[in-house]
Order: sequence, then C-alpha cells, then structure tokens
Amino acid sequence: MSRRLSISVFAGVLVFFGLFFLWPIAETLRGAFTDAAGGFTLVYFVEVFRNPIYLEGLANSFFLAVAVTALTFLLALPLAWMADRFLFPGRTFLTALILVPMILPPFVGAIGVRQILGQQGVLNALLVLLGMQDPSAPVDWLAEGRFWGVALMIALNLYPIIYLNVAAALANVDPAMEEAAENLGCTGLRKFFRITLPLVMPGLFAGGAIVFIWSFTELGVPLMFDFTRIASVQVFNGIRDIGGNPFPYALVAVMLLSATLLYGASKLAFGRSSHAMMSKATSQGGPRPAGRLVGAACTLIFGVVFIVAVLPHISVILTAFSGNWYGTVLPDSFTLAHFEMALGHELTLSSIRNSLRYAGLAVVLDLVLGVAVAYIVVRTRLAGRHFLDAVAMLPLAVPGLVLAFGYLAMTQEGKFFHFLNPARDPLILLVIAYAVRRLPYVVRAAAAGFQQTSETLEEAARNLGAPPLRALRRVTLPLIAANLVAGALLAFSFAMLEVSDSLLLAQRQQDYPITKAIYELFQLLGEGRFIASALGVWAMAFLAVTILGASLVLGKKLGAIFRV
Amino acid sequence: MISITIENLTKRFGAVVALDAVNLQIQAGELFFLLGPSGCGKTTLLRQIAGLGTPDDGRILFDGEDITRLASHKRNTGMVFQSYALWPHMTVAKNVAFGLEERRVAAAEIKERVARVLAGVHMEAYAQRRITELSGGQQQRVALARALVIRPRCLLLDEPLSNLDAKLRLEMRAEIRRVCKEFGLTAVYVTHDQKEALSIADRMAIMHGGRIAQTGTPGEVYRRPHSCFVADFIGETNFLDGVVAGFSDDRILVETSQGRFRGIPGDATWHPDAGARVRVSVRPEAWQIGSGDSADENSLTGRVEERVYLGETAQYGVRCDGMLIKAVELNPRSHRDFPNENASLTASSDDVVILPS
Repeated sequence: MSRRLSISVFAGVLVFFGLFFLWPIAETLRGAFTDAAGGFTLVYFVEVFRNPIYLEGLANSFFLAVAVTALTFLLALPLAWMADRFLFPGRTFLTALILVPMILPPFVGAIGVRQILGQQGVLNALLVLLGMQDPSAPVDWLAEGRFWGVALMIALNLYPIIYLNVAAALANVDPAMEEAAENLGCTGLRKFFRITLPLVMPGLFAGGAIVFIWSFTELGVPLMFDFTRIASVQVFNGIRDIGGNPFPYALVAVMLLSATLLYGASKLAFGRSSHAMMSKATSQGGPRPAGRLVGAACTLIFGVVFIVAVLPHISVILTAFSGNWYGTVLPDSFTLAHFEMALGHELTLSSIRNSLRYAGLAVVLDLVLGVAVAYIVVRTRLAGRHFLDAVAMLPLAVPGLVLAFGYLAMTQEGKFFHFLNPARDPLILLVIAYAVRRLPYVVRAAAAGFQQTSETLEEAARNLGAPPLRALRRVTLPLIAANLVAGALLAFSFAMLEVSDSLLLAQRQQDYPITKAIYELFQLLGEGRFIASALGVWAMAFLAVTILGASLVLGKKLGAIFRV
Repeated sequence: MISITIENLTKRFGAVVALDAVNLQIQAGELFFLLGPSGCGKTTLLRQIAGLGTPDDGRILFDGEDITRLASHKRNTGMVFQSYALWPHMTVAKNVAFGLEERRVAAAEIKERVARVLAGVHMEAYAQRRITELSGGQQQRVALARALVIRPRCLLLDEPLSNLDAKLRLEMRAEIRRVCKEFGLTAVYVTHDQKEALSIADRMAIMHGGRIAQTGTPGEVYRRPHSCFVADFIGETNFLDGVVAGFSDDRILVETSQGRFRGIPGDATWHPDAGARVRVSVRPEAWQIGSGDSADENSLTGRVEERVYLGETAQYGVRCDGMLIKAVELNPRSHRDFPNENASLTASSDDVVILPS
C-alpha cells in the first residue's frame, strides 16, 4: 500500500471512530453535564449520588461487578492452574469444553436459572423428592432481590475470559524462573505466591478488568430476572423520556467514567510489565502427568464446573421442549408445540431475518475496518499507528450500554444525526453499533495474521509485477483467511446475541432482532417463557454452528482472540 | 540486459543513514556483488534497486533511464529473497506462474514458459508440489525460477544461499553463475560471504557504513585493497604501522619498528608524502617461512608460538618483537617445532601493500 493510500485509510478509520465512537460518548457527556440553559453543570452528576434510587442502582451495579469478578476468579484460577500443571484424563477435551459457556447467551440462560432456582423450580422439587424439604414451604433460592441469581448467571458466562487470560499468562512463565526459585530453596505455595503469582498478575488484571466492566453494565441478565434496582436497568427504563430527563445521561456518564478509570488503571499498572512477559520461555516445562488421585480430582472438577455452567442452557432447552414444567424435577411431558408457536409468532421470523441482516452487514463492516487497521498497525511505519491500535481497542473498555445510549442520544430530533433515528429505521445504527463493539476481535485476529505472514511474501509479489493492492489480495489475504474467517464468525455470533444495542435501538416491532424478540416474548403471560426458550434454542443452534465453523477453521487460535 | 547506474543515493531510517550518497556503475551482463558486514547497507541498496522503499535522495538509472520514482511492480526486476518468500498457499507451478499472470501472458504460453524455466533449474518434477514439501535447496531453485521466468531486466539476489548447508552452497553458487550467464542477465548479488563473492563475481563493491569502500574485480579487491577496512574484511592480513621513508619507481619504502618494508600502494592514485604515517599489509600466505636470519627488507624474525596443521596448509602464529604475525605455509613439508623455534618471514614487494593508516 502506498503511503498516500495508507494515510487516507488511516484518516478514514479515524473519522469513522470520531463519528460513531467519540461522538455518541460526547453527546452523552454533554447531556449529563449541561443544564437547560446550555451551561456546564455538575448538578445532575451529583444528584445521581444523592437520589437514593439511583444510588442504590449504582451500588447494586458495583456489588454485582465485585461479586461476578470474585466468582469468576474462584472458578477460573484453580482450573487454569490445574490445566497448566497436570496431565489428567480428558485434559485436551475438557480444557476446550470449559470455554463453551462463554458463547452461550447469558440473557437466554437466565430463563433457565429461574426455572432451576425458582420457588417451583427444579432444585426445590429435587429436595422434596429426596425428602429434604417440606413441599408446603418451598425455599425461594433467588430471594427477593435475585441479586445472586444475576451474579451467578453472569459469572458462569464470563469465567472463561479469566481462564484464558490466566492460562496464557501461566504458559508464558519461563519454567526456569520457578526452577531458579526452587534452586534457591523456595518451594510449594511459597513459590507460587512469591514467583508465579506476581508473574501472571498482568494476565489476571487484564482479565479481571474486562469481567468487571462487563458485569458492571450488564443489562440483559438483570432484565430477565426482573432485577430492576440496578443502574443498567434504570438507564434502560429511562430512555423513554430521553428527550427531557438528564438523569439517564448522568447515570451513563458515571458508568463510563468508572469503566474508563478501571481500564486506564489496569493498563497503567501492568502495561509495562506485561511487555517483560512477552519474552518466550527458554525451556519447555509443560504439564506433567498427575498421580491417579490428583488426575481423577482434576477431571472431576473440570467436569463439574462445565456441567454447572451449562445447566442454565440445558434447562432452557428442556423448557422449550416441555409441555408443562412446574414444581417437578423434569418436565411432565415433551412437545414441539412451542417451536411451532414460536415460528408462527409474527415476531419470530422477522426477528431472525433482521438479526441475520444486521449481524451480516456488521461483519462486513468489521472486516473492512479490521483489515485496514491491522494493516496500518502491522505493516506501515506511520507515526500514529500505535494510537490507531489503541483507539480500535477502546470499545473493549466502553460498555455496550454506554455506546447504545450514546447512539440514541445523538440521533434525537434536532441533533446532527437525527436522520439516523432508530425510531424510523435502526438498520444503519444497529449495524454500526454491532460493528464498533466487536471490532477489537476482528482487528486482533487480522493483526495476528499479518504478524505471522512475512512482509517479504508481499514484496515478492510486487517485484513480480503485482500492484500493491493486488499483492495484498492475491498473497496476504489468502494466507490470513483463516484468521479473518474466525474473527468474522466470532463477531457475527456476538452480533446475533447482542443485548444492549438491540434492546435500546430497535424500537419498532418489525425491526426487532432475535434478542429483543426473546425479551418481548418472555414478557408474555402464560406461554411466554416457553416460546422465548424455543426462540433461544434457535439462537443457540445458530451460534453453535458458527462457533463450530470458527474452531474448525482456526483450531486452537480461537482462544487468542479473547485475550487483551 | 541493462546497465544500472546509482547516483548519490541516500536512504535514512530515522537518524540512521543506511545509504550515504552511494555512487555505483554496474555494466550490462555483469554478475556484480555487494559485499560487506551486516548493517553496511548492502540489502538496503538492493531493495532500492528493486523499488522496495523510496530513497531520500539521489537517482537510480536503468540503461540511462531514471527509474527512481517508478513503482516496484513496474520495474521488471527479478528478485530472489533471502527467505525465498515463496507463497505457501500456492504450488511450485503457481508460484512461478504468478509474475506471468500479472503480465497477462496467455495461459498456454504461461504453461510452456513455466515448464521450461523449471526444467532449467532441474525442478520440472516438482511443479505440483506444495512449497512446504520442498527442501531448502529446492526452494532456492524455485525462487530463482520464479524470478527468471518473467525475463527480468536484471536479477537481484539477496543472500540467496545463506539458508543452505555448506555443500549445497558450493553447488548452487556455480549454478547461479551458470544461469546468469546463460540468460545473459545483469545480476546484483548481496552477500556477506567473501568466498561466494570471490569465486563467482565479475566485479564487486565492498560496502562499509552506508558507503562504497571499493569496487573492482575479485583479484583487484583482494590483492590491491584501497583501505585497511577492505584489506581486513576480505581475507586475513597482518598490519604493521610505519612512516613513509622514500620512493623508488612505483614502490614505497616504509620504516616500521620491525624494519624496512618496500611495497605497492593499494590505490595506485594515492601518493602519500614522505614522513606520512601509513600501514603495511601483508597477507599470511605471502610470507616465505624460513629458519635463517632476516633479509634487510620485507622481513621479520620471531619465534613460532602457535601452529595449526591442516594437511594442505599449516598456519603459524609467529611472535615478532611483541606482535603475533599470522603466516600460512602451503604444502608444508616438515613439522616446525613449537613453541620457541626461530623462524624468519619474508615477503615479495609485489605482495606488500601500503595503505593509509
């Protein structure tokens, strides 16, 4: 690519980010910090912390994030450590299986958790069956607030992120460092806390920051649990009067600032030391065969975690097929009626069609932007390329809810982008929203491809008469196709199940994507949760096919995309 | 077949000057070597000729035509990369056909020319193989075929043999020379291996710190280096510091702490003043090793301190007045005892080169 072309692509990407990343954020901040007369004010921002309802919402969001982060660490740390140290029966299979919950939509799984832990749910029925509970006095496991149900569901969805980050960090620790410690007389747990843990700290923190930000602003799961006293749901409920009420703006601003602070802090604290970790291990330590007892324990723990993590979704599938399921361990009868009803419902087919369209277009946009950014970052010497790289990664730090709210804010009547107002047609806005949120994955995938493909291969093509762009198309793109396909499939499946953007931006029934249709169906009385489950099963089937495709194409590299 | 002219070519990478106003004339049909230690700018120069990178200043001319700003893909140069840069997603035949496809050559002709060039490098049996199924030597041949098939105006080789084992290197360097001469190509060959350069180059340029230190035929560069750097870089040598004591015909007399030397200036155009500080260079194989007393000129005496016997030659380290002088004896008839046997070293004034210090 010539310098001039690189610079114009660079500029194009920056303009895109300026319009559809910075602008919505700026619009939100403006709404939060300007009064009716248009002057700067901190009144709303301060009021958020004074109003007991908002304060409770923020506190709940914060405690939820803390709880989820703690739960994910509890689940993932031992798993990662075992997988790094021991060979045990079924290790290869189980370490892959353990990642599956990440791609199961937690928003759908929430229906399953309610089915299991509800007062008339599976757990109580099981306890009654075992004679351990009085059927007339069922325990409400989810309890009034349902806080722990929400936390558990999100944690079961997000622990693979911690697992992947820690596993990668552990794999990068040079075994010689631990051997040196042993050689100097430091062994066992002492060695773990003095040597191993400090070395994997950047990985821990990077994973932890993502999980924290993610759960801090999670919208879908609390909604499905009717857990309304939390900031994300308060924002969602507040968008109805987005035109006049400044408090949703202020609430979003608080979320954004917290997320940014945390992300910045994690980069600042560990940005430098994570570079030192990049040095490759000089000797291969690798896991060693575990004794029979330890091996069996590892296999058991992995198996149990996996089963617990997929239980919500198994429950959703059973719900979708069940004739009636109320106060029993397993459904009374099975039927396909809900699938028929789901297919017959006016929302279903249009929502599947809409989701395919939005997600498909978003992936195309992601591929174009992702390849362009990755090319500039890896292959050119432009002065601002590292800045561009950092900008392209920012959507990881900015919660989806914040962006979605920002899009809504910037397309209100009277704003510059009013012609994109989703009340008229959300297509363009949803495609851009999906694309921006998942761009980091595509950029990382493409950049990895460019890094693995020697630039000389492209130079050889130019030397033989291929103009730069054709050299890129004929030589480099085919070579990194696997990376691109994998990145695209991931972006696609996430877009299909995107919650915050979909709930906020799709406002007319005929524009609903799958997730919003599930949410709406779930609200129906009576058959609602069965039909919603049936649609959820459809969505999961879609997802399974895409992810299976991605892992077939990319093999093990899939994990690399979720690391930051 | 074209001539290549480099005029004042300058290339900077940030603060580093990779090429410092380089001037060079490469004749049509010549196999020309760029030789130098790593970091001297030789690969940078080759890449500028190929158009992979834009020079900051100066011009490159093919047959007198300025191509400095011409895009790489329009230069019609055939380059063989150090890593070969064969595309792993294409077969051997597809790799070789690529350049012809870019030139919109008819399919039938592509097939015929690919077959012919693969036969020319003895790779016709491997046309349908994947690149990963080839050995290093086979990959090297395919890379050469891919560069040759487009009938390039010149062939550019960037350390093409550095990834091969020693035996294969010997075979392939003869092969490359044969192919260049057979196709009548102007070829520029970058290497840091002086044996490769001395054995097959028509002419060569020694590069040092982004500049051309000397150009000439292998014999000229080896026997008449213009500077201490060149004398030291090509082959081995012994240096003795001294002062110009006088002149006779084309010879220069130099007084050193080890006695008087009579030699030829490496650069015939260089005329040092009497009394100037200069350096005397004598290659190890130029010494006649004797056990007698020293002659009055071009001669040293000392004690044998090291000996490496190699059969066809023997290498000695002789301690002469504190300095360890390297000497090589061809076809050594007798073992010299060491340590401490006395030896005299004498050189012909034809083999003594006087250099600016």
